[in-house]
Amino acid sequence: MSQNIATIRVTRYRPEKDLKPYFQEYKVPYRQDMVVLDALNYIKAEIDGSLTYRWSCRMGVCGSCGANIDGEPKLTCASFLHDFKGRTITVEPMTNFPVIKDLVVDMEDFMEKLVKIKPWIIREKETPPEQGEYKQSAQELERYSQFSSCINCMLCYAACPIYGLNEKFLGPAATALAYRYIEDSRDQGKDVRFPIVHEMEGVWECTLVGECSVVCPKGVDPMLAIQKTKILGATNALKSLLMPRGGR
Amino acid sequence: MEDNKRYPELRKQLSPGWWTANRHYAMYMVREWTSLFVALYSLIFIYGLSLWAMGSRADFLNFLKNPAVVGFSLIALVFTMYHAATWFYLLGAISPVKIGRSRTKPWQALVLNLILLVIVSYLAIWLLVLR
Repeated sequence: MSQNIATIRVTRYRPEKDLKPYFQEYKVPYRQDMVVLDALNYIKAEIDGSLTYRWSCRMGVCGSCGANIDGEPKLTCASFLHDFKGRTITVEPMTNFPVIKDLVVDMEDFMEKLVKIKPWIIREKETPPEQGEYKQSAQELERYSQFSSCINCMLCYAACPIYGLNEKFLGPAATALAYRYIEDSRDQGKDVRFPIVHEMEGVWECTLVGECSVVCPKGVDPMLAIQKTKILGATNALKSLLMPRGGR
Repeated sequence: MEDNKRYPELRKQLSPGWWTANRHYAMYMVREWTSLFVALYSLIFIYGLSLWAMGSRADFLNFLKNPAVVGFSLIALVFTMYHAATWFYLLGAISPVKIGRSRTKPWQALVLNLILLVIVSYLAIWLLVLR
């Protein structure tokens, strides 16, 4: 079988040496089943060992290998080289994040936001394990299940211009996860999470660009979660205004 | 913890032309900018009403009949319709209605809301003008 050659332009940035990032071009022979991540691995193994990028599972589960491919935030493990046939493929670090080296970005901000929304089931009073699990029906599961598919790849943050303008914005993935717990019938932490998602830089910062939901590799719809959270917050505020004592 | 930020990190600022990067961003910008025409039309209409309040109904109608105002109103109508349609569509995307086992699609909300808009507009015209 004859081998095709892909031309890949990768952002290089070594803070100890370079003042500015620049592009470096590599030629990579490829087969039909190779993805951009395979090409990066080939470069690192065969051409230039100094190229730095994150990756782990190479099958769209771990969420580590996100990058901007031809300007669009994508998982490098899910982008086939043959889809770019004949064109130079540009691979850049994800937008809106500080770059540490080459394609590696600083995830600190997102990690903080993730913890902030308390992504675990909160109970007013924990029951001992002997009493059995907290039961849930299939319908109750369906209310939040898509939002639990998030792999924290941060592509939605790279796609969000609001986050690009204001890094304090809670952002798509963190809100989707907050909503996932708010909608979970086993969870009782609404009063804890509501103030977090409804603060100034919470959901109300979102102006519905919608690109977060377009780029999500797991079919999560963060835009929907953010708007649903807005609706919940607004109805909650109205209820407590009309029925100050029993309004929830 | 060790200080792992020995070198300054590189942070790219969003350029003013960020929305030209892809079609979705551009469409978002078109949606937002068309609202400007809604606002401008409102201002013009309020000015017209003030003519009526301070002068007469004829002043108001003459102002509305001015070719420039008519021209702008037509342009504003097109942009307002587009702006409304985008939000009707989003309404369907955000609040799908569950019917049996399936959920309604955004375009169905768009069509339904446009029909409702036509009915409400006709009722308003009928009440205020035709009756």
